[in-house]
Amino acid sequence: MDEEPERAKRWEGGYERTWEVLKEDESGSLKATVEEILFQSKRKRCVYVCVCVLIMRHLYVVIDCSRSMEDQDLKPNRLTSTLKLMEAFVDEYFDQNPISQVCLHRNPKKHIAALKKAVDTVCVGEPSLYNSLNQALQSLKHMPGHTSREILIILSSLTTCDPANIYELIKTLKSLKVRVSVIGLSAEVRVCTVLTRETGGLYHVILDESHFKELLMMHVKPPPASSSSECSLIRMGFPQHTVAALTDQDAKPSFSMSHLDSSSGPGLSLGGYFCPQCHAKYTELPVECKVCGLTLVSAPHLARSFHHLFPLQAFVESPLEELQGDRYCQACQGELKDKSIFTCTSCHSVFCVECDVFIHDTLHCCPCCIHSQVTPL
Amino acid sequence: MKLNIEGLLVYFPYDYIYPEQYSYMLELKRTLDAKGHGVLEMPSGTGKTISLLSLIIAYQRAFPLEVTKLIYCSRTVPEIEKVIEELRKLMEFYSKETGESNNFLALALSSRKNLCIHPEVSSLRFGKEVDGKCHSLTASYIRAQRHSNPNLPVCRFYEEFDAVGRQVPLPPGVYNLDDLKDFGRRKGWCPYYLARYSILHANIVVYSYHYLLDPKIADLVSKELAKKSVVVFDEAHNIDNVCIDSMSVNITRRTLDRCQNNVDTLQNTIHKIKETDAAKLREEYRRLVEGLKEANVARETDIYLANPVLPDEILQEAVPGTIRTAEHFVGFLRRFLEYLKSRLRVQHVVQESAPQFLKDIFDKVCIDRKPLRFCAERLQSLLRTLEIADIADFSAVTLISNFATLVSTYSQGFTIIIEPFEDRTPTIANPVLHFSCMDPSIAIKPVFQRFQSVIITSGTLSPLDIYPRILDFRPVTMASFTMTLARTCLCPLIVGRGNDQVALSSKFETREDFAVIRNYGNLLLEMSAIVPDGIVAFFTSYVYMENIVASWYEQGILENIQRNKLIFIETQDAAETSMALEKYQEACENGRGAILLSVARGKVSEGIDFVHHFGRAVIMFGVPYVYTQSRILKARLEYLRDQFQIRENDFLTFDAMRHAAQCVGRAIRGKTDYGLMIFADKRYARADKRGKLPRWIQEHINDGSLNLTVDEAVQLAKHFLRQMAQPFRQVRSTPATKGTEQVSTFVVWKGRWRHGYRCLNLAFQSQQLNNFVA
Repeated sequence: MDEEPERAKRWEGGYERTWEVLKEDESGSLKATVEEILFQSKRKRCVYVCVCVLIMRHLYVVIDCSRSMEDQDLKPNRLTSTLKLMEAFVDEYFDQNPISQVCLHRNPKKHIAALKKAVDTVCVGEPSLYNSLNQALQSLKHMPGHTSREILIILSSLTTCDPANIYELIKTLKSLKVRVSVIGLSAEVRVCTVLTRETGGLYHVILDESHFKELLMMHVKPPPASSSSECSLIRMGFPQHTVAALTDQDAKPSFSMSHLDSSSGPGLSLGGYFCPQCHAKYTELPVECKVCGLTLVSAPHLARSFHHLFPLQAFVESPLEELQGDRYCQACQGELKDKSIFTCTSCHSVFCVECDVFIHDTLHCCPCCIHSQVTPL
Repeated sequence: MKLNIEGLLVYFPYDYIYPEQYSYMLELKRTLDAKGHGVLEMPSGTGKTISLLSLIIAYQRAFPLEVTKLIYCSRTVPEIEKVIEELRKLMEFYSKETGESNNFLALALSSRKNLCIHPEVSSLRFGKEVDGKCHSLTASYIRAQRHSNPNLPVCRFYEEFDAVGRQVPLPPGVYNLDDLKDFGRRKGWCPYYLARYSILHANIVVYSYHYLLDPKIADLVSKELAKKSVVVFDEAHNIDNVCIDSMSVNITRRTLDRCQNNVDTLQNTIHKIKETDAAKLREEYRRLVEGLKEANVARETDIYLANPVLPDEILQEAVPGTIRTAEHFVGFLRRFLEYLKSRLRVQHVVQESAPQFLKDIFDKVCIDRKPLRFCAERLQSLLRTLEIADIADFSAVTLISNFATLVSTYSQGFTIIIEPFEDRTPTIANPVLHFSCMDPSIAIKPVFQRFQSVIITSGTLSPLDIYPRILDFRPVTMASFTMTLARTCLCPLIVGRGNDQVALSSKFETREDFAVIRNYGNLLLEMSAIVPDGIVAFFTSYVYMENIVASWYEQGILENIQRNKLIFIETQDAAETSMALEKYQEACENGRGAILLSVARGKVSEGIDFVHHFGRAVIMFGVPYVYTQSRILKARLEYLRDQFQIRENDFLTFDAMRHAAQCVGRAIRGKTDYGLMIFADKRYARADKRGKLPRWIQEHINDGSLNLTVDEAVQLAKHFLRQMAQPFRQVRSTPATKGTEQVSTFVVWKGRWRHGYRCLNLAFQSQQLNNFVA
């Protein structure tokens, strides 16, 4: 059995009466309950619904660095813990939404570096929700209408010192279709409830570190698009990665455009992606061309963003007893032991819980469906 | 939905019913069946009002001859309006379900100030002014004078009502105060008099306590209400104090001076009348000889609610000769007044009983007991005869005459205390004569005697058995109901120690203790950092609050708190307090967060609800004992001990705990609400204190939340607040039944419900035991 992620130290958590969850069945056995618990822990998955989403996102992340971030209820303190989780979030975010931006930068490495630097920040003073929202709004409002405008606030403090009436700002945010989500680190604050409700965002309060991570990961998925958001065609370049053959004597190493402004990072290199429009060289994708402003992506990036548009249908859950035929999972070929099985709606293949989760969270396509498409060729 | 409550078909305007509502109705029905009185406790926010209304109305419909009227007494105008709105919902449900328009008449009654539509009179600011002005326009002799002199001002609304309104009954329906005013405007009738007249034939009357308990008002308004009525006192946890206040009289030097002026005016008016219209005085004299026969007949035939100021004996007799003529009576009043003045010139505190007072007054100024007893009636008669328009001016002399009647009527249950100065300011002479009622049963006795069923209900009535004892009645049902919750939305914590292990307590010995004050400050500081939005903190008294806040200021604690939240303070000034409240709510609303420092027994603790974010935590600093050095209280405690065998300590604890419960109950006003309740005093952990909290709070106090340190409390609170911030799915995990077309039969649920029932049985048993002992 997999241990749940340790929440800090055992003795620091609340007093848990784990035995009270267990209930005896008629014969006095605990087996049924134990299996139930195990099954539930495996099956922590979201409901997959088909919604129209925006695949180009502009997300502003605001991290509260006020006095209350020094609080040590997350180990070692709230700030360090948050920043650590944010690194994971940034990675995951770009993995799932390659053509989106966080704080108007496309480069995950830069973010992570900035986050690492922020660990040493001394947290003082009170935060201002108004100021941070206003600043984010100033940049977001110039974003084109086909992209989403999002602000994610990690708020630790329970108070905000505002220079003006925040309800006016909420109205402005609403009219500009900025979606504000808040993750509270301590308790439910009224103004955040109103803010998120008005702008259509999510408001959650963490229970502990693992819950915090879960909540952060929820924001990796793109938000549902409102019907009013505009659609438009965007020019994109799909540069090929070309490496000059080692035998080619004429090949000259060159600088990547994205590293020109930063002193660190790799210097000269032979290969890279060349912008199809202006032939500027980049070592990493996705990126916006510094020279001609073209969005450069690779096809797999687009495909990964694309799966948000066509999510895989949820598999039908049914009890094991009803299964006719072989009790083997089509994916891992392991024996089906749990009491529920999952059936793909299009190809009727049967999967176990673990594979079901893996297929939906990582693969985003049913292996059996793809397999059956290939065979006729 | 329709319910079957022991064979009674009850229409309930909601789709779901909580189990506690069901059992509440069950108990209520049994009370009505037995034609007896009941004491019922159910937490606020569980739909107490609608349960009461739907059951009693169903009962009224099923047995129209058994129960003819529901008299619902509430405390404030907003509460009255709330009851009327619930009633409207119920009535709409009735007409939807049964398809017939029902002929129920329900209305709210309030003072002239709230009901007047006369353009000039209604613009006056104070209730007393409105009353006086109204009286000067509508009194019978004014109107009689108008026949000879048509230039006199008159209220056309009253005239119209008097001419037509009495013949046409108010059409059936539900009327709140605004509806009455609208109706009055449409018809051109006076809404106040229309309402007062209509309550006689209305099925449901909703009004304030005072219309039934204050003898001066009850006599005017509620005298003729039918005997077969059900009387409900909602929010009745303070009913004994209301009773006592309505019977007590305080006389200061100012009162006496104003009284002196009144008497002079009376004298002058009598002289004037004697010259112009001597026959009128002779007529009055004749009437007084015949005595108060009419009142006596009325009481014997059971038409009237008895007036405690008008004792039975005096109805049998004629007004004594010494005060029968107007001049003699004024002379008598003068003598009485001089005597009171001389009594107020004391240098030391005097406490005496009514018989002692009577003996003294007889010795000094030769005033007998008998004429004193007739004083109130005699004054009323004189004022009528003299055709004095503005009664409001004569409040001082009315007060004195009421005092005279009461002091000579009741030899028990009252005490007279004359204090030459206030305890706090011994150098400033401010003599006060307290004629203080110690027995709440005197005022409420006529209500219990007259009406078939009287229900006393509130969110906090624990311990239940004390109310029947102090109000001197025998209830047929006593029950306390708990709240079934989908999630544990209240978190009572008893903080008994500071982080440095100093015991926290507001008791007298440690009141000035620096360490205690510092720890209290620390508690508030820590809480201000972890509780979102609003915190309400209650202190035991204004003086104590001032001391502590001053001390916190010196130690810099206030400054630290203000980094987290703004601080607002309740003061004795009502305008200032409502300003503070408004700003407090604004600060909670826009995320800055705020703390309201207020006082138990103050305006905030009684009347203001802090729903949702306006009160995420209530901190009770200390046990709110009443000021025990007060002589009035000491006298009352003595009386309770002698008459009702209630020990001083029991009563004091009971009183303190009901106020504490009121204070902390401010934060939870419904099942979706949540809040922390922090009791910051180690004495709360004791069983005698804890056991007197309402059951719905007690249930959530476990061993883990007793005698905590500040740090431990902070940890628990943090955990609780995070739990509560999780999205709350409105699952009806509370066992609620869905209404069907058929009469739904009731299922007994498991778990909590059964537990509730067991407690109910316990209450029964203990009650039976009491009866046995009695």
